[in-house]
Amino acid sequence: MTHDSPQAPLLVVRNLTLVHRATTGSTPILRDVSLSLQRGEILGVIGESGAGKSSLGNAILGLLSPDFERTTGTILFNGKPLDGNNERQWDTIRGRRISAIFQDHTASLDPLMAIGPQLEETILATNDTMSRRQARDHAIQLLTRVGIPDIDQRYHHYPHQFSGGQRQRAVIAIALAGRPDIIIADEPTSALDATVQKQILYLLRELVEETNVSIILVTHDMGVVSEITDSVIVMRHGEIVEQGPTSSLLDAPQRTYTRSLLAAVPRLRVSNPGERKERTKHLNDPPLHVGSMEPGTRPILVARGITKSFSGGVFALLRTRPQTPALQDVCVQLDRGMITGIVGESGSGKSTIGRIIAGLETAGDGKIEIDDTCFDPSRSGSRSGLLGKVQMIFQDPAMSLNPRMSISESLRESVRYGAAIAKDELSIVGTMMDRLGLARSLLPRYPHQLSGGQKQRVCIARALLAGPSIIVADEPTSALDVSVQAEIVQLLRENVRERGISMLFISHDLALVQELCSSIYIFKDGRVEDAGSSEFIFTHSQNPYTRSLIDARPRRFTH
Amino acid sequence: MKANTLRTLWKRHRGMSISLPGLLLAAYVLLALAAPLIAPQNPYDPLQIYGWEASSPPGTIGGAGYFYLLGTDGLGRDILSTILYGLRISLVVSITSTVIAALIGLTAGVSAAHFGRWVDVVIMRIVDLQLSLPTILVALIAIVTLGPGIDRIILAIVIVQWATYARVIRGIALSESGKPYLDAARLMRLPTWRVLFRHLLPNSIAPAITLIPIELGHAVALEATLSFLGLGVPVDKPSLGSTVANGFQYLMTGQYWISLFPGLALFGLIASINFVGEGVRRNLDPRSRSHDA
Amino acid sequence: MMTTIIGRLSQAALLLLVMSAIGFVGIHSVGNPVYNIVNIETATAEDIRNATIALGLDQPLWRQYLLFMGKVVTGNFGTSYIYHLPAFDLVMSKLPATLELASIAMLIAAPCGTLLGLLAGRKQGGAIDRAILKASVFALSIPSFWLSMVLILVGAITLGWFPSGGRGPTVSLVGQEWSFLTVEGLRRLTLPALALAIPNIALIARLARAGTIEVESQDFVRFCRAKGLSPRRILFRHTLPNISIPIVTIVGMQFGGMLAFAVVVETIFAWPGMGKLLIDSIQLLDRPVVMATLTFVSLAFVGLNALVDLLYAMLDPRVRLST
Repeated sequence: MTHDSPQAPLLVVRNLTLVHRATTGSTPILRDVSLSLQRGEILGVIGESGAGKSSLGNAILGLLSPDFERTTGTILFNGKPLDGNNERQWDTIRGRRISAIFQDHTASLDPLMAIGPQLEETILATNDTMSRRQARDHAIQLLTRVGIPDIDQRYHHYPHQFSGGQRQRAVIAIALAGRPDIIIADEPTSALDATVQKQILYLLRELVEETNVSIILVTHDMGVVSEITDSVIVMRHGEIVEQGPTSSLLDAPQRTYTRSLLAAVPRLRVSNPGERKERTKHLNDPPLHVGSMEPGTRPILVARGITKSFSGGVFALLRTRPQTPALQDVCVQLDRGMITGIVGESGSGKSTIGRIIAGLETAGDGKIEIDDTCFDPSRSGSRSGLLGKVQMIFQDPAMSLNPRMSISESLRESVRYGAAIAKDELSIVGTMMDRLGLARSLLPRYPHQLSGGQKQRVCIARALLAGPSIIVADEPTSALDVSVQAEIVQLLRENVRERGISMLFISHDLALVQELCSSIYIFKDGRVEDAGSSEFIFTHSQNPYTRSLIDARPRRFTH
Repeated sequence: MKANTLRTLWKRHRGMSISLPGLLLAAYVLLALAAPLIAPQNPYDPLQIYGWEASSPPGTIGGAGYFYLLGTDGLGRDILSTILYGLRISLVVSITSTVIAALIGLTAGVSAAHFGRWVDVVIMRIVDLQLSLPTILVALIAIVTLGPGIDRIILAIVIVQWATYARVIRGIALSESGKPYLDAARLMRLPTWRVLFRHLLPNSIAPAITLIPIELGHAVALEATLSFLGLGVPVDKPSLGSTVANGFQYLMTGQYWISLFPGLALFGLIASINFVGEGVRRNLDPRSRSHDA
Repeated sequence: MMTTIIGRLSQAALLLLVMSAIGFVGIHSVGNPVYNIVNIETATAEDIRNATIALGLDQPLWRQYLLFMGKVVTGNFGTSYIYHLPAFDLVMSKLPATLELASIAMLIAAPCGTLLGLLAGRKQGGAIDRAILKASVFALSIPSFWLSMVLILVGAITLGWFPSGGRGPTVSLVGQEWSFLTVEGLRRLTLPALALAIPNIALIARLARAGTIEVESQDFVRFCRAKGLSPRRILFRHTLPNISIPIVTIVGMQFGGMLAFAVVVETIFAWPGMGKLLIDSIQLLDRPVVMATLTFVSLAFVGLNALVDLLYAMLDPRVRLST
């Protein structure tokens, strides 16, 4: 980037401190935050939940809820101070000079107004001289620029008729409508699939180069920061921990916290392309027996021809419950004592297969064999003998524990009603707490009194205490902060290995799966798209979808 | 941390318990309980009534030494006393029917959510249709079908109200059953009763509690309306609604007090219940206290 | 979407059938209408038997029901025991009075309620919000019969501005008699319409308030502010259309509710509509009229619900454009 006048930054935030009115005396939301933004610069603001990074964005936009109070500090835009309460001033700033992109593309658009008109009204509101006709032409031009195809025909289509990526593109077009100087982008790609994420990030980069707009990119994802930002601010508990140019901060972080954030990002190991080109034998025929590391041992679980469809028989008309993604002829096998991974984007059916294997959902058709016991997954009562043998660890630890049962009650219930019959519940629970690094003093507490990481540890303890032979872990770390994720994964791996439990690890994160799993299934649109040993998938597979998933990873965290 | 939680809890409940509607409601209940002791006369004992003092305006001092604070009705009964006695009937009918309706609705709703399939379909279709008809229509159909009598009125109100509880509880229970902690419970060898009563019910019941005061208010109003129309409680057990109806014919001749005061008492009762209900809902609704976290 | 509506209609029809059966059996267990048409003091056993046969009451219950249902399908509910007119025609003759009362009430309630709700919801927790919220609880706490009486007491007796009851002169339009076309008719409509409207204003205002708060808290409203739209435009082009969906639903439902609640208001204001006819007929055990009225109101209600579903689908592109 070329900075013509580095002496006169576009935006300066000086010593900004924000407090929450209702809780005076508690720690501020933001404390003494200072930053400056140059024209044409992409500034990343990274931090975990509660770091205050979104409040910083809202303060710059003048969109803080009235509960917040700016106690000290100034925000200078083009050298002029922005007053948080002066609505008349904001009318000339918002949309025209400073604009925004939010995380949730679905919620950002009015569901009852077509995409074209939503952009058109923004253009009219932010350009005083434009006629309706011109606005429409400009809207079509902008939508085409951000990469929405056939916009002439789709101008009057509603948001729900576009895909997630296209909706976020439309949101970007709206943000650009007033030709702003700054765009605040709050987690602009977090709600998107990995392959789409990268495209959107590159779109933003291109737009910066074309229009010389500046972007403040608020995110929790080091990968996003490493891809497109020029400089970074690392935040924690409302304070700036470290700031500097992206490359130097990522290469040589000064603070321990930054270092731990960087260390927590899972890294993908991919051999260089020349090496992987030779072996193409599995291209069209992903093998069922994908990676039995120890030949001779029988797999602990074999699922064959699992099919689940949307349509629902006689009661379809009367049905009131939501449907899960469909599956088509899915075959999965779990090697005894090993960790098998399932990777896929949202809607690929990866969670559905996990739930069917655990017996929480029925399948339309297929056969499942666990420990040589065969049963029919289409009948809900067919597996009563296996209860307790398969346990699950869920994505959201906040909802995985009964809020009205103490930790002790939850864990003791697991011992009492699990597959392993034990006599001394309390001492077993205590030992497990020690093993998972949980203080025994947490036992009488209730779930809401625990942190996210602690809750997930309790969930792991509950699953282990039931004495399962299989654990299905469905995105067990994606609801946790990055710094906690690594510990949880480590803990899970050790404990499963120690006890000889086989695990099915479901994730959208390739690097994590590579680190953990001996064999991997890639799911797409309810089918197994690619499968093989970890080595095969990452080194030899020529499946274009697998390759696009690998390529979607931030380069910096791929070796 | 614990002390802090207790303090916010205390703050929250203190704000509710000293509220004016709460006091008013408590007063109503006390007055109803003590009616025979504090009412100036028993308006349904012919020996205590003096027909020649009929339609006396408020503040009249009667010949037998009665002070008719709120006047007398067309038969010479003290209005204040008829209000106190009517209050008893109104409260007994509405509280009984609310409790029964809540129990039935609760059971039906949780069963529909837990068992699913045809149980769910059958129960929820009845509920849907019933809730799509106006309450007064359902009540009228029920009354026409059931016939008169105090037990029939209670039954009619139960028929009107159970569906609301069932729908609400079923909705909550259904969203709870989709949560992972219930999935985790299902993966163990828990007996059905434990899943239902230890996991599902305790987590579904709290939001449904907020319905009870709202529905109690509806029950009082519904009973009064039916009684006013002459389809409610029998004449020998007049509720507030029937007392108002008695006074209606005297309204045109300017004897407003015969219907105005019982109506005012009824309005005060329903309003205090509704305000208490509003308070309970606000205190239990997690959305309205999200800032506590 | 069409299948959903058809499905709902067929379910409703099935349940109406079940209800009519229960209702039919129930009404037969309450009193004997024969004593309404013969003089109990002078009638001989012969008279009673003849009357019973004349009314078709000598047949077994299931046959009576089948005969009744067969006739109902053709719009024939039998002849009123009291008025000696076809019951269905009797109900229909009372329909315009009820319809115009409910329509006027809804024309008052829907705009007032929406406006108050928007006003309250825009500044949640503010003085206006709290005042409107409190007032709505009061308005919903007044039993409708007492509200009607207070309106008579104030508007008719104390102030003398409006008549206390009756429908007054009517003007004929498309073959029916209407009173909203004359000044006197409107004067007579005012109080009963207000009695029906006031609780509905409160109900709609609360719903609109909740809707406004919910919509305004959504990301797209924040995004609208971020992209530079004026608060006025956001309110009328984005918030209002979004809250109009639940409001249309409640207006449709409550219109049906008004037809039913007219029972109370019409009785008090001596308004010669369906509601008054229903109450009179219940008290006089005029079975055919009771059945005809209840069936008609229930059917009208189911029809209204279907209409609301359609309207809902037209308003919401997510429903309209789903396949």
